[in-house]
Amino acid sequence: MAREQPSMGDLLPLLETSDLHQLEEIRGLINEQLSTRGSVLLNGLVDYFLETNSSEAMHILCSVREPHDKQHLLDKMNECMTKQACRLPTLTMLGHVIRKQPSWIHKIARYPLLLSLLKCLKQTDTDVVVLITGVLVLITLLPMIPQAGKQHLWEYFDIFGRLASWNLKNPHVSEVYLIHLHASVYSLFHRLYGMYPCNFVSYLRSHYSMKENMETFEEVVKQPMLEHVRIHPELVTGTKDHELDPTWKKYEIHDIVIECAKVSLDPKEASCEEGYATMPDNFYPQIHLRPQDCTSSPYTDLYSSYSSSSTPFSTPRQPLPPPLSLPPFSGTQSTNRSPQTTKRQSSTCDPNSSYGGKDPLWSPSSLCGMATPPSSRGMSPNFELSHSASHLPSRFHCTSGGKGTSASSTPATSSPPPTLADDFPIISLPGNTVQSSPPRKADAANVSMTLTELSVFMKIQELELHLRTEKEKEEAITEELLKITEDKQDRSGLRGFDSPFYRTTETLTGCQTQDKIVTNSQLGGSVPDTRHAASTPDKAENTTSVSDVGSEQGGGAGDSRSLAIGLDQSWPFLSGFTPIDHHLHRSPSAPEEEVSKFGMFSPSPCAKTPASVPYEVLFDLALPRAASLYIGQKTSEAVHKAALERLSRREEGLEDGEEDGLLTASPLEVLDRLVQQGSDAHDKVLKLPLPSKSADWTHFGSAPSDELHMLRSQLLLLHNQLLYERYKREQHAVRNRRLLRRIINATALEEQNNAMKDQLNLQSVDISSLRESLQVEQQRYRQLWDDRETVVTRLHSQIRQLQQGRDEYYTKNQDLQQSKLQECQKRLGELEAELQGANNRVCHTGHLLKQMSIKLSNSESTQQRMSFLNKQLLLLGEAHKLSMQELQYVGADNTKEARMLQVSYREEMESLRQNLLVQGQKLEAAHQRASELETLLSKKEHLIAEQKKFLEDVKCQAAELQASDGRYQAQQRITQLLQIEILQLYSKVEMEAILVPDGPSQTCTNEERDSRAPHDSHCGNGSTLLPGQLKASKTSKTTANSVNGSKESGPSLMVDLPLSCPRTNRLATLTPSDAPLTVGSYPSAKSFLGMRARELFRNKSESQCCDEDEEDEHLQPPQHAGLAHSLKTEPCGEPPCPGSVAHLGLASPPTPTILTPTPSLAAPLHAPAKKSLEPRQQAPSQESPRRRIGRVPLGTARPRQQQLKIMDYNETHHEHS
Amino acid sequence: MADDPQRNFRSAYYEKVGFRGVEEKKSLEILLKDNPLDLEKLSTFSQRFPLPSMYRVHVWKVLLGILPPHSDSHSLVGSYRKEQYQDIMEALEVMRFIKSSTPSTHVYLRMFQLESHMLPRCSEISPPDQENEDFLSISQAMEEIVEDSVDCYWLIKSFISQFHTKFGDSVPHLPKSLEHFLSQEEPGLLSHLKNSGALAQLPYHLWFRRCFAGVLPESSLQRVWDKVISGSCKILVFVALEILLSYKIMLLGISRPEGIVKFLCNIPQENTDAIVTKAIDLWHKYCGTPIHAM
Repeated sequence: MAREQPSMGDLLPLLETSDLHQLEEIRGLINEQLSTRGSVLLNGLVDYFLETNSSEAMHILCSVREPHDKQHLLDKMNECMTKQACRLPTLTMLGHVIRKQPSWIHKIARYPLLLSLLKCLKQTDTDVVVLITGVLVLITLLPMIPQAGKQHLWEYFDIFGRLASWNLKNPHVSEVYLIHLHASVYSLFHRLYGMYPCNFVSYLRSHYSMKENMETFEEVVKQPMLEHVRIHPELVTGTKDHELDPTWKKYEIHDIVIECAKVSLDPKEASCEEGYATMPDNFYPQIHLRPQDCTSSPYTDLYSSYSSSSTPFSTPRQPLPPPLSLPPFSGTQSTNRSPQTTKRQSSTCDPNSSYGGKDPLWSPSSLCGMATPPSSRGMSPNFELSHSASHLPSRFHCTSGGKGTSASSTPATSSPPPTLADDFPIISLPGNTVQSSPPRKADAANVSMTLTELSVFMKIQELELHLRTEKEKEEAITEELLKITEDKQDRSGLRGFDSPFYRTTETLTGCQTQDKIVTNSQLGGSVPDTRHAASTPDKAENTTSVSDVGSEQGGGAGDSRSLAIGLDQSWPFLSGFTPIDHHLHRSPSAPEEEVSKFGMFSPSPCAKTPASVPYEVLFDLALPRAASLYIGQKTSEAVHKAALERLSRREEGLEDGEEDGLLTASPLEVLDRLVQQGSDAHDKVLKLPLPSKSADWTHFGSAPSDELHMLRSQLLLLHNQLLYERYKREQHAVRNRRLLRRIINATALEEQNNAMKDQLNLQSVDISSLRESLQVEQQRYRQLWDDRETVVTRLHSQIRQLQQGRDEYYTKNQDLQQSKLQECQKRLGELEAELQGANNRVCHTGHLLKQMSIKLSNSESTQQRMSFLNKQLLLLGEAHKLSMQELQYVGADNTKEARMLQVSYREEMESLRQNLLVQGQKLEAAHQRASELETLLSKKEHLIAEQKKFLEDVKCQAAELQASDGRYQAQQRITQLLQIEILQLYSKVEMEAILVPDGPSQTCTNEERDSRAPHDSHCGNGSTLLPGQLKASKTSKTTANSVNGSKESGPSLMVDLPLSCPRTNRLATLTPSDAPLTVGSYPSAKSFLGMRARELFRNKSESQCCDEDEEDEHLQPPQHAGLAHSLKTEPCGEPPCPGSVAHLGLASPPTPTILTPTPSLAAPLHAPAKKSLEPRQQAPSQESPRRRIGRVPLGTARPRQQQLKIMDYNETHHEHS
Repeated sequence: MADDPQRNFRSAYYEKVGFRGVEEKKSLEILLKDNPLDLEKLSTFSQRFPLPSMYRVHVWKVLLGILPPHSDSHSLVGSYRKEQYQDIMEALEVMRFIKSSTPSTHVYLRMFQLESHMLPRCSEISPPDQENEDFLSISQAMEEIVEDSVDCYWLIKSFISQFHTKFGDSVPHLPKSLEHFLSQEEPGLLSHLKNSGALAQLPYHLWFRRCFAGVLPESSLQRVWDKVISGSCKILVFVALEILLSYKIMLLGISRPEGIVKFLCNIPQENTDAIVTKAIDLWHKYCGTPIHAM
């Protein structure tokens, strides 16, 4: 630091070194220092700049970086601003910085620098130069800080108001300054009106409504300013507040500039935009841009053929409307190139009264030119074009062929009507001279014209004269220079675009600028336009001369105007002629280069313009045309862009070179330096030429003593103006780039579109061809298919035929086979039949053989038997013979014996016959007996059946009986139980009684006891007896008696029991009724049926019955007797004693009762006996009489019995009978 | 039976197809029309076929001798029976063995005791012993089957006396035969029972003394008793066997003999009909369908 510090002061002057290398080093060093410790060095730099106005320092300052430097820088500048002395350089520096557009520029609004600037503009400063510079800075700054307008808006307006009224308030100020000031105010007006229309208008309204300002308004504001603006759309749609809104944010700086320019009607201001519109027009096919022009300017219709959109605006408005067709045109083109230059020119024109004076002449001349030139012009262009047809297109192509070509080509080819043809050349000229100086000049004239309208009209004549002289002088110089420096300037030919600037400066500065122009003119080799442009000034002499001629020609016009017309007319001629000359000159020297460049730049326009056909050959030489079509266009665009950029860069470089000195070795910088050097020289050395030069300046009325200062400040002002214009141009360039980009994109897209369309077409063609081929293929296919079909059908038919043939063959074969088979079968059958027949025959024969053999054997056996029988016969015959002999010998004494036998037989027969008779009788008797017995049997069976039925009934009854028996038993058990209960109860009671002690009522108790005693005793007996009784109850009746008699006196019972045995007889009288019941299961004998059953039962079981009977007889005779007594109630006379009965029974069994069974007993015995035994038959027959005998005496019982047993006995009787 | 002319000739097919008992009612009615009822035929019928419930009581009464075969004397005998019942009843009431509140089964028990000389004295009435318990459970079941109390009493009495007289000897052998059939049908179960020791403890008295009274619901029970009354005590074995088979899985699941016995004493009442049907089938299978004695 310490080491560096002192060196810093030394370093800064070193910036001015001429050694480039050293310069680079120093610059790097400073930059390095800046980054490390900014403020001191920065201050130093600023001071240095302020002192020396060093461009190098300026350059460094402009590139100051954001972080800290800008603050220091701004502070420093603010500080300097306050000082009256260094205000101007500070402003200049500020202008530089601002134009550099550092990234932090928007922040400037926040720093006091702006305030101090405003303040200085508004109040403090009175120096015009400072004011103008400040206003220009402000104008430049405004679009950069649109936001700040909010706060400072009224200050802006105040500044405007103050400056507008400046010249009125300070009439002593030099006219030159006033013009500058006015121009800058005019710009400010446009800027403010463009940016804040509502506010501004309201300000104007309020400000100029005041009486004291009315004059200013009338003088300054109304006439030039308000007349040159359109009504701002924002005035209709916007509001005061709205336009202060941050709507500007979306705009870039150049957008704002253009926006402002849009509302301007001043071609110079507005041309910014128009230039933009026409610029692409020149570069690209007109078709695209036409509409743009139309939209931007409804007036263009008339002039659409040459499409200068600015002209329409200007033509109606401007005081010199028709002639403007040329100037505005040139103006537009000049704006394209370099807006600053036009400004500059305008500004420069003013001081150079010779210049500016010429300008007003322009417009009338052009007006006249419109009226008059057609006659002369109509001829000349044709000539020109025909003459230079080969060159013009190429020129157009280089820069802005589109328009120019169309314009130039049409006259060339189709000689239009005079009026139009007249126009075209005019157009074509500007088109040709787009970047050339002549338009610049025209611009300058135009601009000056607008300005002059404001300022000075009086010195037109003088200016004109001056201009002419100056021009002549210049041209002379340039011609000389051209000749001298021709070779030198060739390399800088590319900078032809800058030529206007230089030329303008030249016009100001003198010979050096002339050199520039010369160099520019020399550039033609590379860029024809520039060369053409450059050449035009060269021909200025010619033009002047020609213009003189023209003026003479156009005699109708006035003095000066005629001259102007002449000039005007001379331009086209010049432009037309000069390139040809130059080209002619040039072409041999560097034709190849040119051609290649042309080819590179302008293939497409070349192709489009019919007039350019001859040149195509040239192009084709350089480049193949096929490639040129597309690539060329692209390259042209690219090159254009590059050229533009290069141009802008160059311009910058020029500026740099002009302001900062030469940074690089480029010629432009050299030129810049030259300018400065020239100015320096002008200041220091060439004092003498100045007065001579500034002879015109005296006309401005400024003091000659001030001239130097004036000139210096003028120079400064011009420089400022120039810088401002350059800045504007930069903005336009930026915008251009953007628009260009868009256009490129659009065209690229369009190209793409076209390509795709082509592709589409190709594809559609392809498709159609394919379709056709498809159709063909289809047709072929169809044909093939048909062929195939036919073949197939044919084959099918063949197959069918073959099949048919085969079928037929098959059928035939089958038939054949069948017939053969049948035949074979038939044969086989026949053979089989034959075989069978043969077999049959064989069998038959075999059978026959067998039969025969059997027969043979039979016959053999019969033969044997025959022989045997024969033998027997023989033997028998012999025996017969023998027996015959014997018989004869025996048969005499047999008759006697026979008779005796017969007698015996007869007797025997007799006895047998008698016997037979007896036997028959016996048989008869037996038969009878048998029948009797059978009837008996049947009856008995019937009886048995009946008995069975009865038995069933009885059984049924037995079941009932059983049930009742069960009931009875149950009852018995109940009774027993009840008895037990009772006894139990008794015992209980007695026990209770015993337990009761003897009391007064003993008697009673005694009686009771008496009465109960037997009971008790009996009871006790009963209780003891009970088991026994129960046991005995089944058999003994005594129990029943005892039970019955239990209520009788106990002793009697006690007696009874022992007595029962002896009293059996008595008891028997009682019991018999019971006896039969108990005896058996027989039914009771009481009933008749019962007796019957009993009899039957007896019959059934004889032996048992017999035994029982016998038992009965034995055991119960008295019962029987009793029975007889009781039941039959038969008064039995003799009470039969058992013994007698027994005797009777023993002696003669048939007692009345007992007899009855006997016959029944006997009868069964007899019946079987009769059948078996004959002898026993006698016995019953013998017995029966005896029975009868026996019965008779038996008496009464007998018949009774018989009655009872009718059936039995009847039968027996029958038997007997 | 088969050649009974009045019988539907299709009955054989009915049986084949599975409609058992279609013609039974008709044939039973035919049987009941005979005047001296053929007891043999009746018993064979009731062994072969299930009795229609409307004739069941009547048939039982005939088979048990409560009504004589002669239908003529039915009313008389019936009146006798009724009188006897009433007499006994009155006597018991008089002797205060029974009251109006005494349950009918106990009344029947007293009556039966009275008729069989077993009635103890009032003061000596002891809690019912095993035999009385059997009687009570049987009478309980019978009471469910028969509405009329007279019939009920007679049926109980006759059933028990007939069972004792007819099968008194064979009842002790029934467990053996059960074991035999079980070994034929399901030896696994038998071994399980044997192993667990439950075989000896099976509720034989419930099955063979009470004839399943209290074990099976009455609807199933009466079908078993049909067979018992008609003279077969083997059916008891098969019912027991079928019970064991039906609850085989459960029994196999129980290992403790007490559990088995407890389960068997309280078998579920759901599908006893099926058990009885199977048991009858099984019985027919092993003992053969009783052919008509004629």
